[in-house]
This record gives sequence, C-alpha cells and structure tokens, in this order.
Amino acid sequence: MAREQSIRLTVNGRVYERTVPVRLSLADFLRDHLHLTGTHLGCEHGVCGACTVSMNGRSARSCLTLAVQTDGAEIVTIEGLRAADGTRHPMQQAFLENFGLQCGYCTPGMLITAIELLRENPQPSEQDVREALSGNICRCTGYQAIVDSVLAVARDTHASEKRESA
Amino acid sequence: MSDARFINQKVVGSSVLPDEAIPLVEGDGRFLNDIHLPGMYHVAFLRSQHAHARIRTVDTTKARALPGVITVLTGKELLGKVEPFRSMPNRFSGGESVQHWLAVDKVRFCGEAVCAVVAEDRATAEDAAEFIEIDYEPLPVVTDPRLGEQEGAALVHDTCPNNYLIKREFERGNVDEAFRNAYLVVKRKFKIGRKQALCLEGRGCVAGYRESTFGLTLWISHQLPYVVRHYLANHLHLAENDIRVVVPHTGGGFGQKASIYPEEFVCAYLALRLRRAVKWVEDRLENMVASTHARDQTIEVAVAVDRDGRILALSSDVCVDVGAYSTYLWSAGMEPLQTAGLMPGPYKIPAMRYLTRGVATNKTPVGPYRAVGRPSASASLELLLDEVARRLALDPVELRARNLIPVEAMPYRNANNLVHDNVNYLACLKLAAAKAQYERLRVEQHSANGKLRGIGIACYAELTGLGTSTAVGPGTLLQPGRDAVTLRLETTGVLSIAAALPSQGQRIMTAMRQVACDELGIALDGITCVNNDTAMAPYGFGTFASRTAVFGSGAVIQAAKELRRRILALGAHLLQVPVGELTIVNSVIQTIDRAKTLPIREMAERSYFSAKNIPPELNPGFEVTSFYDPKFGSFAGGAHIAVVDVDAQTGEVNIVRYVAAEDVGTIINPAVVEGQIIGGIAQGIGEALLEELVYDEAGQPRTVTLADYLVPSALEIPRIELHHANTPSAALGGFKGCGEGSIIGALGAVTCAVADALNRRGGDIHDFPATPERVLKGLGILPNET
Repeated sequence: MAREQSIRLTVNGRVYERTVPVRLSLADFLRDHLHLTGTHLGCEHGVCGACTVSMNGRSARSCLTLAVQTDGAEIVTIEGLRAADGTRHPMQQAFLENFGLQCGYCTPGMLITAIELLRENPQPSEQDVREALSGNICRCTGYQAIVDSVLAVARDTHASEKRESA
Repeated sequence: MSDARFINQKVVGSSVLPDEAIPLVEGDGRFLNDIHLPGMYHVAFLRSQHAHARIRTVDTTKARALPGVITVLTGKELLGKVEPFRSMPNRFSGGESVQHWLAVDKVRFCGEAVCAVVAEDRATAEDAAEFIEIDYEPLPVVTDPRLGEQEGAALVHDTCPNNYLIKREFERGNVDEAFRNAYLVVKRKFKIGRKQALCLEGRGCVAGYRESTFGLTLWISHQLPYVVRHYLANHLHLAENDIRVVVPHTGGGFGQKASIYPEEFVCAYLALRLRRAVKWVEDRLENMVASTHARDQTIEVAVAVDRDGRILALSSDVCVDVGAYSTYLWSAGMEPLQTAGLMPGPYKIPAMRYLTRGVATNKTPVGPYRAVGRPSASASLELLLDEVARRLALDPVELRARNLIPVEAMPYRNANNLVHDNVNYLACLKLAAAKAQYERLRVEQHSANGKLRGIGIACYAELTGLGTSTAVGPGTLLQPGRDAVTLRLETTGVLSIAAALPSQGQRIMTAMRQVACDELGIALDGITCVNNDTAMAPYGFGTFASRTAVFGSGAVIQAAKELRRRILALGAHLLQVPVGELTIVNSVIQTIDRAKTLPIREMAERSYFSAKNIPPELNPGFEVTSFYDPKFGSFAGGAHIAVVDVDAQTGEVNIVRYVAAEDVGTIINPAVVEGQIIGGIAQGIGEALLEELVYDEAGQPRTVTLADYLVPSALEIPRIELHHANTPSAALGGFKGCGEGSIIGALGAVTCAVADALNRRGGDIHDFPATPERVLKGLGILPNET
C-alpha cells in the first residue's frame, strides 16, 4: 500500500490540497500540517472527546479519523466557529459568559458537540444536554457551567425567534 | 487605600468575566503541544514493561540505525553527568530512594523510563523505541503494602527496610485513658483505591537551546515554574539565571503537575547536548503509568466518645501504597502524613494517636493530587461518626454539631497542633441542613418505596494559603511560604501585574486584576497580567495547596499600597494640590471635588518622557515588587449533604441531590469560586464511585486507558446546590483558598450516603470506590471473600 496519498478537503471554509502519510490522523493533520492547534488531543482513542470536530455537519473524533478519510470532506474546527467579522459564535460567547470552561482543554470538543446538539434539538432539557455531552470529558468544571452555557444559547435562540415571529 | 473603595464600586466580589478565557473559547489557546520551534527534534521514551527487574543489557544499535533517528539515550550515559532524584529529607523514619532519570540497574515499576529516543518526528522516535533490545531479569514484585512491610518481604529499594519510605508515630493527650473511660468505642476500616488526577492534557515540555539570552529555555506544562528552574540548575549543574522556564496554557494540574519528573529533565539535558530544541508530549498511555498516582490507602480508625457522643480521643492506623519512589520534592510523606495528621478535620479532638507509613511497592509513585490525604481522612472519620450516631441513636447532623469546633472556642488548638480561627463550621452545617431541608430528607428516606436511599453528611476543614509558619507537606523540608508580584505602571498608564502563579483555569490573573482595580482605582480594562514566565515575573512558588489567590492577591494589595503612594505623590506635584486631597477613580487622579484631574495615562507618560521637569525624588519609577507571606494558613470549611439511591439489583449508585455550604472567606470572583467548588465535588464523586487504578499481582497496570479508568461524565454529576457562609480570614483581603476543600467534603458525603443506604438493609461498605460489585457485596448479594 502507498505510504502517502493526496487529499483535497475544506477546512473552515478554505480548500486545502495536501499529500499526507496514510497513517496520519485527522487531528495530527489539522494540528501539525495546517497549524490549527485549537483542536486538542486528550486520549487518542476516542473516549475523551476533546478532539471532536465537525465533519460534513456531524461531530467526529479527529483522533480516530485518518486524514485520508477526509478527502472531499468539509471540516469545521473551533477556529472556524467565529463569524467572518470575528464575532464569536453564540456558543463561544455563552461559554465565556457562563464560565463554561476552566483550563479550556476540553472546550473545542464541547463547543462542536453542543452546537451539533442544538442544531438537532433546539430546545433540549437539562438531561438532553447532559446526555449529548456525556462523550466529552471535562475534569475541571463538574459540567454544571457547561450545561448552563448550552441551555443559555437554547434559551436566547428561542427568545430571539419568538421576538422575530411576534 | 480605603478612599478608592469609598468612591469606586468594588469589583472584588463580582463575577468579572475573565479576559484570560477568550483565547480558549476562540481556539487560540497556546498549550504545550502547540509550541513548535524550527528544527525541533522529538523525544519518545521506552518504558519498562516489568514491574521489577534487573537490567542486564541494553542494545540500542538497531534503533539508532533507523533513518530519522538522531540518538538514543540510556540511563548509564547520564551517570555522573546529572544528579538523580533522591528522596527529600523528612523528619521521620523511612529509607531513601534514588530515582535515576532513566533506569540504570533496575526498573521498579511498569512505565518507568528506560531510554529516550530522539528523532526528527515523534512517530519515528516511537518506531525506533521498539527496536531497542533490553535483557531483563525479573525480580520478586511487591504489590501489597501490607505484605511488603512484613519482615523478609522482597525489597523495592535495598536502602528501605520493610519497604518504608516514611513511617511516623504520633501521640498527644492521654489516648489510652480516654479509650478506657469511654462510654462507647467504635472502630472501622476504610479503603480507598489508587487514583489519577487525569488532567485532560498530559505532561510535556519543549526544551529550547540558546533561545533569546538563555542557554536553556523550558516550556513546561507545570504548576511551579520557579521551582522547576531551581532544580534544573541543581541537577544539571547550570547557573539558575541561564535558565528560563515558561508555563503555557495548561490543561489541568490538580497536583499532578506539581512534582518534578525525569522526562522533562531528560529533555533539558538533550537540548543542551544536541544543541537543538527537543519536544516531548506525554500521551494518555504514558500519563496513566508515568505521572504520579494518588491515594491508595488502608485506614483503621477508632474513636472514644462520651455518653453524649462527644469525641474524647481518636486513634488511627494508616497504610499507604506509595509506589516505587519517593516523589521528588514532595516526598513519599504526602498522603501518609496528611491523612493521619489531618484526620481531626473540623472536629474537636482532645487526644489523638496515629501510626502511619508509606510503603514502597512496584507501582507508579504516589504524589500530590487535589486535597492530598484529607479526602480519605475525612471520609474514614465521617463514616465512623455515622456509626457512632447509630449506636447512640443520635441524628448524624446533631452528632456532628456537637463535635464541630465552635466559633466561641476559637482560636482553638486541636490535638494535631493546628489552630482553627476565622472559620465557622457549624454555620456551614446548619446552612447545608436548612437548604437541603434535611429533616424532610430523612422522612422521605424512610418512605422511599423500593429504593435504597441514603443520606451522607460530611464536614471538612482545609488549611489554605499556608505561609512560612507551616510546611505544606508536614515533615518535609519544603516550606514554600512567600510569593511576589510586580506591579508596573506602563508608560501608557496601563497596569501590568507580573507573577509566577500559573493558572490551570482558576482565573488567577482575573482575580489579581480585580484586587488591583480596587486597591489602585485603575480601571479593570487598564490592567493586564503577565504570568508564568521566569524571565518576566518575580519569584513565586506557584500554584498548589489552595494558596495562589491568597498569595497573589495579598502581594498585589501590598505592592499596590506603595505604587498608589508614588502615583499620588507625583499627582500632587503635577496638580499642585496636597496629597491628602487626591484619590484615584477610574484611572484618573483627582481631587475629591473633581475640580482638578489628571489621567494616570498622562502622569505615566510625563514621568517617563518628560522626566527632566520632575524632581527625581517624586519620580522613583512606577514599578513595585512585593513579597507576601501570610505567616499562618487560613482554615476554609464546609458541609456537604449527598442523597443517593442505590439499586439493589445492579448495585448502581445514583446521586439524586447534592447540597454544599462553604466558608471560603472573602470571595473575589463568585462564578470562579463556584466553578472551583463544583469541579472539586465532581472529582470527589468520581473518587467515591468510579475511579480506581488496578494492578494485577505481577504489578501490571490493568487500567491504562480512559475506557478502564472511569471519570465522571455530565451524566454522573448532579446539579450541585451551592451556598456560602463565609468568614473573612486574617490574611490580607480576608481571602482563603478554595481549590481543594470541596473534594474532601464530596468523598465524605458520598461514601456516607452509600453506607447509609446499605445500612437500611443491614449492609455496609468499607472499600471505595463504591463500584456496583462492592455495593452488591455490601448488601450480601454477592459473596464477600474477605
């Protein structure tokens, strides 16, 4: 089997073409080749969730995904969450305002997972949020402030939608 | 400085949003593994797969021949060039352990580093490590400390008879008489498993060669940058001022990153020898075996009480499996001495006795982890108090209330010689009980249909912010009691705070900015903080033992007093008004009637760029360094109440309610403090119910991934109801530490709740974590082999 392979993919809206070793993980590709170090590695076997990125709209463990599997894919990492004008994504803002992070190491995976949750379930209960985040380990916060951050975004979105329809 | 407070709205006490968190939510954090230097080599370690073995030969030929490999370093090559880690001396008995950075003649635990491979990339270094051939001669393995301390047991170190790395006996008061005359004596056994801090980011370093003006620059994921610098100099025979240590963003510390380990020192050596930067980042597999473990204790404890349940004496026997080496700096005494010595917690103990020891085994060394020793000390005593309450038909809350050290008795010197003051334990207990509606909980407990509901109560004391009068590790010679900050008014009027007090999420920079804002009247957005860099910060011991906010804030208050004096003196000269009429509000020097004003920015610019027009005695420079020593520590305290439901079919424990009331002194930033407390409770819940590192009889670790070592997810942690009953401390600002206390209360409350639930069906539990299997054994549903 060839040791290297060429891939073409979109990361945070930008198209990249690279030749990569076939054993390279997506996480290492993002971090070492594209220098997008916002994605963190916590366990490298798919348990902790810190490395979670969005791949074709679904959350994926970048430590368990090979770079060569992403040929043609659309990837979004924490660096791609801000709006073009630099405004923080509402989820980023909510984590900041609700103290939803301490060391910040799990934050990239938490943000990607939480954004996916609200896309699928815009009005989750606290238990829904806890279920959705149960594959993402945080060792600092005891989760409460993270859960509150996600619920705050859901509440704000709901309120602004009500305002718009009124 | 009080006038600033009079006019300004205080920011101490408000949940100021932490600017320091912005890079972290935006993906711009700079953690250790994000640092890349041009031409940097990568290091991987070959680790022992034997728990105990003699190294006969090491053959690195094939590994060196692999393309991309720069070199392979063995322990023998380091002999005579660097100083190995010897146990830090302590005042008590126990032998010395010598830990070579890379094993020389023997390996003593699975995971011990044997060789370091340097290659152009990490993958090649790891590939090459597999080509190193080592001939091992297996040796008898010590895995059970109770067997290891017997005469004739195999020895982990020839220098440690009975495998004791530390042993201490202590007695104060007439314990025998108290036990003889007691109305009731109750004894109990408590076992707590081996733990892992499990920082989400492992350890790691980048060692740079001749960066800037320094021979050696070490970027390291660590809690104590200046301490690392001091010991790098000692062990590598370097001049301290030729070394710069920088701590980048750090993905969790919890004490695991407070020790000195071989790997980072090997990298420093390699950078100097190869004249090239090298990088090593610990992967999870390594972290589980090569970074310190914690706890692993067997405790037998007995109390003598009078007819009213008042404690007359406490006696304990503590045996800690401390692993293969005395953890460098802190020694093997951390868990053994603190568990036994601090067992009284917040309770009045007139007489006490203990025997404690740390027994060497062929396992990963045990080091500091959040609240060292005290969670198990507290849990073992709280479980015993519940048994006393049952025997005397007293309510557990009432029994605790009778034994807590009351405010009226303070300052109160307990039998362990610690003085309790400025803390209100009883207020915490009453508040927690009231908020939990404790009496109703008891009624509900008895009417809970089919559920085994248990209620656990734990009261804890934590000595925080220790100054020079008290050693952090009792019996060890390390006495870190002074830390400094430098306040510098920049020429633009912005205030910089420099310190070497790393944060792993405690938002210490935000806390210091808040304190400086109140003290100086400089607007919060005009205050920045540079932290964690020995090239820029004054001396400081760093972050551990719930000390950082106390030291950092105290030093800021002290330095601000002098800086404020200088600012007002120059302001008075420039405005031509007496100093006494001036104050500083929102970064403007002004008379109280605001008739005359001078922005600090203008003053700062003039002091620097127009100095010739200013009398030199009024222009001494606007940079002040101040060392703060709070002398004594401050006790923080709290009371936690946990309610659990135990499933008698599956043995599963579910926490249905959790109420905590805490006395953590004057609060700087409430949201940050609550995050610390809730995070600590979550770790305590993990400790009580889930987390355990397991070894087999051959000393092989069986829990080396996150699929084996279970930490709580968002589903296992309930919503924590948190309340405050704060008493200001005697430290500057009235601050206390709050980083560790809650894990103490959580282990006690949850273990008591589980035992209480089992007791409703005549069961009991002594071994923790309370895994489903142990719960079912405790209920007599599964056979108990012991």
